[in-house]
Amino acid sequence: MKPHQVFFSTTLFFLLGVFFKSLGASSLIILFVLAVAGTFLFLWKLKNKKAFLWLSFLSLFVFLGALYYTAHDLRFKNINIFFDKEIEFFGVVVNNPTIKDECREFAFELDKPLKGKILVKTSKYPKFEYGDQLKIKGRIRKPKFKGYRDYLAGKGISGVAYFPEIKLVGAGGGSPIKSVLYSIRNRMNESFQKVLPPLEAAFLNGLTFGGYSGMTKDFKIAMKESGTTHLVALSGYNISIIIWVVLGIFVYFFNRRISFILTGLFIAAFVVMTGAEASVIRAAIMGILVLVADRSGRFYDMKNALIFSAFLMTLQNPKVLLFDVGFQLSFLAVLGIVYLKPALQKLIKMKETPGFLSWRDNLFTTASAQLMVLPILVLNFDTFSSISLLANVIILELIPITMTLGFVIGFVSLISYYLSLIFGWFTAILLYFETGVIKFFAGISPSLDLNFNLTGLIFYYLIIVGLIWTVTLRKEYV
Amino acid sequence: MFKPIFEKLGRDKTIIVIFVLLIFDLVLFGYIFFGTSAEPGVYFLDVGQGDSELIVLPGGVEILIDGGPSNGRALAELADILPFTDRYIDLVAMTHAELDHFGGLISIMNRYKIGAFLWNEVKGQSLALRDLEKVINGNKVKGIVLKTGDKIKYQNSVINVLSPGQEKFKDINENSLVFNLVYKDTNFLFTGDIGKRVEELIKDKTGKIDVLKVAHHGSKYSSSAEFLNIIQPKVAVIEVGENSYGHPTEETLERLKQIGASIFRTDKHGTIKVIPKNNTVEVFYH
Repeated sequence: MKPHQVFFSTTLFFLLGVFFKSLGASSLIILFVLAVAGTFLFLWKLKNKKAFLWLSFLSLFVFLGALYYTAHDLRFKNINIFFDKEIEFFGVVVNNPTIKDECREFAFELDKPLKGKILVKTSKYPKFEYGDQLKIKGRIRKPKFKGYRDYLAGKGISGVAYFPEIKLVGAGGGSPIKSVLYSIRNRMNESFQKVLPPLEAAFLNGLTFGGYSGMTKDFKIAMKESGTTHLVALSGYNISIIIWVVLGIFVYFFNRRISFILTGLFIAAFVVMTGAEASVIRAAIMGILVLVADRSGRFYDMKNALIFSAFLMTLQNPKVLLFDVGFQLSFLAVLGIVYLKPALQKLIKMKETPGFLSWRDNLFTTASAQLMVLPILVLNFDTFSSISLLANVIILELIPITMTLGFVIGFVSLISYYLSLIFGWFTAILLYFETGVIKFFAGISPSLDLNFNLTGLIFYYLIIVGLIWTVTLRKEYV
Repeated sequence: MFKPIFEKLGRDKTIIVIFVLLIFDLVLFGYIFFGTSAEPGVYFLDVGQGDSELIVLPGGVEILIDGGPSNGRALAELADILPFTDRYIDLVAMTHAELDHFGGLISIMNRYKIGAFLWNEVKGQSLALRDLEKVINGNKVKGIVLKTGDKIKYQNSVINVLSPGQEKFKDINENSLVFNLVYKDTNFLFTGDIGKRVEELIKDKTGKIDVLKVAHHGSKYSSSAEFLNIIQPKVAVIEVGENSYGHPTEETLERLKQIGASIFRTDKHGTIKVIPKNNTVEVFYH
């Protein structure tokens, strides 16, 4: 077995362990390991290939994954919160607060004698910022719905306080680096609001930094119905655009080596700025891996890069694997683009040229990513936008230039407001068009009733894997 | 002439260059033709439960009274009404320091440059006022305290301040700035959230009113029959949204009907535009 194969299988088994343990299936793990180890041992006896012995041994890593999950979970359970009681407590705001449905939301780390992290929902004003030390009076509730509870658990949050009484007692309680990065991000967002109409500003903020801050409910629904929500989810797609733009700028001034390092640093800072969501970290890790592989001239194996980033993120928080839909969606989307897209391109023969602003390429990218995430999307959100393909093909061409202009506005506004206004005109036209397309397609999108259960899900992915397999194999024989 | 450029840049880039130039032209011509002000008139903005009115005087002076709650809707309405290139509002007035009247001003002041900020100097209980003060001080906006007897004049238009006087009430609503706008031959009255007590004090100062901004979202403790009988509004605009107070109340609606006023509501008609024309007013809504 080659080292990279060992690495791949080890990591895969580890992740499986985490996965089974998140399902709560302890006995299943033992059965699974016994079955896998036994099968490979049998195969080794049968075919006398050393690789099978290796695999049989590596399957023990499933236990390690499960163990890791348990250990991490114990640490998470080490909280001390009085739920559903009117209490007074102190703590620090530990993230960059966001605006959701006219409310301000932030994560709050509790001070002694309490212990743990909660979410605080409060009115838009007075405004609280990262690092603010607060005295809060109110009730901490356990999230009622399982889906929401799991989602919050994925962020290490175990309770929510709705509209409590809040008093500011101090500021500057967080890390100074984060503080600076968040304030840069907020300044940029403010500059969008200065030069653009509110909806367009909110959409641009979503494109560049991710998130729904400042968007109206109607528009969020419109994005969902037109299948364009992923645009503001700050996926690998957005990060790859940023990497190429930033790298392009640095290469202009410095040599390659320094440019690579600076770009890596920039991306790391950017990830922190955006609140380090699972999808952003994954996208950034992937992006940086591409950079490193390119730099060292080593063959860049997508398969290993993917599993490595999954591994890193699972180490950081094992709960993302099963409970973070964003994590699953972004991985599946990338898998779709890497494996399904070439297969589809072979299957449906179209002209090889990318077309005006490479619309053909975008069509295949969107289609393969959409096909891959479809069951998960339906399972979690009960929606699938049948019109999304068309809407995405029309909009995606313009996203790189829109994002670039967004960052230009942000940086230029630090120098001169009037100069940023001029860039704002151009960006506004693009944004008017994009939001217009989203609203238009949402209006004509027919609702599609799809339903998936676990069997359907497995069946669906088996078909896709089969498709990739046959098409790719056919290539080899032609 | 264009062929060499086209060949050098390639098709995609040529299209982009033409597109960019086209936008530049459009913006420039837009600037020249539409100028930097909206159509003169008075706009009652649909901001949900809260108040916000934009006055555009003949000559283009823009005065905003209140900014609605902090739901961003006043900002969205303004961005809709004012031309894209217009980033200056001459005067912003806060009738009183309640969140459904000033919450939206915070983001408005982030986007628009403000000539001066007018208020009544009463701070009230709302903690969010701290954020408004921050943005006013940060943008170095001049603050002006208004009281009874003050006037704002521009060309032929006059705004008279009718309340509050030197002495302030305990109830923050009663301290609302009350404006009487004389625009061409049309008489507007903006009442903030005043109740019967202040109505009693100002009832003889205005004469007959053409367009009334109904006080306190149509609360039954405002717009007394006596007051309405004296000012005789022809058009009554209620700025109201979904709320738990029962605004606008049946009582107030009935009293307005009694004196024969045409009633318009932002929750039913959306943003309402009133344009004075030859001794009458035209009312537009969606």
